[in-house]
Amino acid sequence: MVSKRTRLLHRGLTYAGLIFAGVAACTPFVWMVTSSFMTRGETLRRVLWPAALQWSNYYSAWSEEDFGLYFENSLMIAGLTVAGTLLFSLTAAYPLARMRFPGREPLFLLILATLMVPETVTMVPNFLTVSWLHRATPLAWINNWPALTIPFMTNAFSIFLLRQFMRGIPGELWDSARIDGAGHLRFLFQIVLPLCRAPLLTVGMFTFIGSWNALGWPLLVTNTPTWRPIAVGLQKFVSEAGPEVHLQMAGAMIATIPVLVLYGMVQKEFTEGISMSGLKG
Amino acid sequence: MGESRTEGVIAWALMAPALVVLGVFGIFPIFYAFFVSLHRWRIKKGEFLGLSHYGRALGDPIDLLGLLIGLAVIWVGLRWFSNHIRIRKAFGAAFLLAGCWLALHFLLGMAASGDGRLFNAFKVTLFYSLGTIPLEVAGSLLLATLLFKIATARSFFRVLFFLPYITPMIATAVVFRTIFSPNPSSLANRFWALVGSDPQRWLYDSRSIVALALQGIGVEAYPDWVDTMFPSMSLVCVLLYNIWVYIGYDTVILLAGLSAIPRHYFEAAAIDGANTWQTFRHVTLPLISPTLFFISLVAVIGTFKAFNHIYILRTAGAQDTVDVVSVLIFDQIYQFHNAGYASALALILFLTILVLTVVQNRLLGRRVFYGD
Repeated sequence: MVSKRTRLLHRGLTYAGLIFAGVAACTPFVWMVTSSFMTRGETLRRVLWPAALQWSNYYSAWSEEDFGLYFENSLMIAGLTVAGTLLFSLTAAYPLARMRFPGREPLFLLILATLMVPETVTMVPNFLTVSWLHRATPLAWINNWPALTIPFMTNAFSIFLLRQFMRGIPGELWDSARIDGAGHLRFLFQIVLPLCRAPLLTVGMFTFIGSWNALGWPLLVTNTPTWRPIAVGLQKFVSEAGPEVHLQMAGAMIATIPVLVLYGMVQKEFTEGISMSGLKG
Repeated sequence: MGESRTEGVIAWALMAPALVVLGVFGIFPIFYAFFVSLHRWRIKKGEFLGLSHYGRALGDPIDLLGLLIGLAVIWVGLRWFSNHIRIRKAFGAAFLLAGCWLALHFLLGMAASGDGRLFNAFKVTLFYSLGTIPLEVAGSLLLATLLFKIATARSFFRVLFFLPYITPMIATAVVFRTIFSPNPSSLANRFWALVGSDPQRWLYDSRSIVALALQGIGVEAYPDWVDTMFPSMSLVCVLLYNIWVYIGYDTVILLAGLSAIPRHYFEAAAIDGANTWQTFRHVTLPLISPTLFFISLVAVIGTFKAFNHIYILRTAGAQDTVDVVSVLIFDQIYQFHNAGYASALALILFLTILVLTVVQNRLLGRRVFYGD
């Protein structure tokens, strides 16, 4: 019924809208990349394109402004947090999805309720707890990796996502594993774990981003650069240094690259995983 | 019997590490925060103060009581208003109006006698949610429908839209600081120049956008409320940043929701001769409503928890016009070392989130169509 011309017009409008949104999404990235290669004078006048690519900006940011150190710290912190979160969330999600024990549903609701607690509520008590652990245990917590990683080694969202996925695994698998004499532990690590590839990668990616972005808590528990993560380094650099936009942008690029590389690797599974989080089930 | 008991033991053993982390660092802190909030607490615990931190924050208890009564009246009014008996509906409307007046009156009383910064922060948070959530939801719904229509390059656009969400906020917030800088050659000012206007101070401007618009057309004398009742220019920049980050995430989730709708619904609509708008209104929208509900719920909680990017985007020029409640609380902890008062403020924020979530569930949750 619809004429060919109106259909073509519809198509054109659709693509025009999408391309407009795509350009809006990309412009700040273009701005960041180009600024990171400019001289200081060029950023102040803000020419559109640097006359010569200033690779030295990256060198200055990396070694003179300590971004190299912050970068390594963040990689360590994020790596430890992700490893802990994957293991602990997997082992917590399995009983909640597959096993029978009294109090399962209320426990799950209690875990979900922690999603609503803002970080500002837990910040002060956790600082006091961590300071106490610093004094009471042989492990140094403050200014060290434990305070930056252990409190984040699982979260309600990860447990929720993995549980939802595990509930979708057909019950026949469990029945046949049982007939073959496998217990819950073997079933979890030999059958469920490989099946949970997509949600695990999603959880890992989310945890990595969360850890990489964390700003308030690391400001509280690090007061020397030794364990300062890149978010804190960048924030301090922006608020304390002068108008060193070219170095700020190089620092921002250094902070961005690992996340984009990771995203490139897990893109397919990640999109699948977060799409799942919005569906009922 | 024995078998199910072993199963229970294994279950708890498997969950133990996660439960310890969540318990010690996620649930116990709520009670500990309440304990801290009852004391003067600088670096160390000081004297017991009872509820006086709450009094300092919220002001006169009489006003608080008045506010609660006002809210209760609104609640009753809402229930009666949805009744189909006409006289009840009329009473409901009257109750609603009276409740709103009462709540507003006592809220202003609280703001006058309590901590002005807290009420300012709640106001900023309110601007923040009203300025972001509707635009994010509507924009992502539009983008998702557009993406759903095209066959080629769909995953390309999806990755593109997702980039702002995936990139570390610390990095993109720093980029937005330079984009919205007062420098005449900043990106925002260049766009502004295309429209033919003078450079703006963007993130460094604490005046409200309405005040700026009035000045733009030459009105210099305007009443004070023009500045206080509208979001500031710097807050608008923060809002734009927030929308830029989250719209892609919402789009990806909505696209998944759209793809999950069985095709035969659309085919049936086409057979019945429904046009694009009718199909959207009567088929797509009801079937996508659970996903819409989910993203709006996440967005509301998110605005109350927002911290990292605002902390980076705030400037001295913006004064306190971008300081949402989380930022205010963090300042109390980090800058003023006032742990006791900060904990009281944080618990007030937590209670607000709880109440809002319940209300949102009641009001919107009922309209969500879950199919059969």
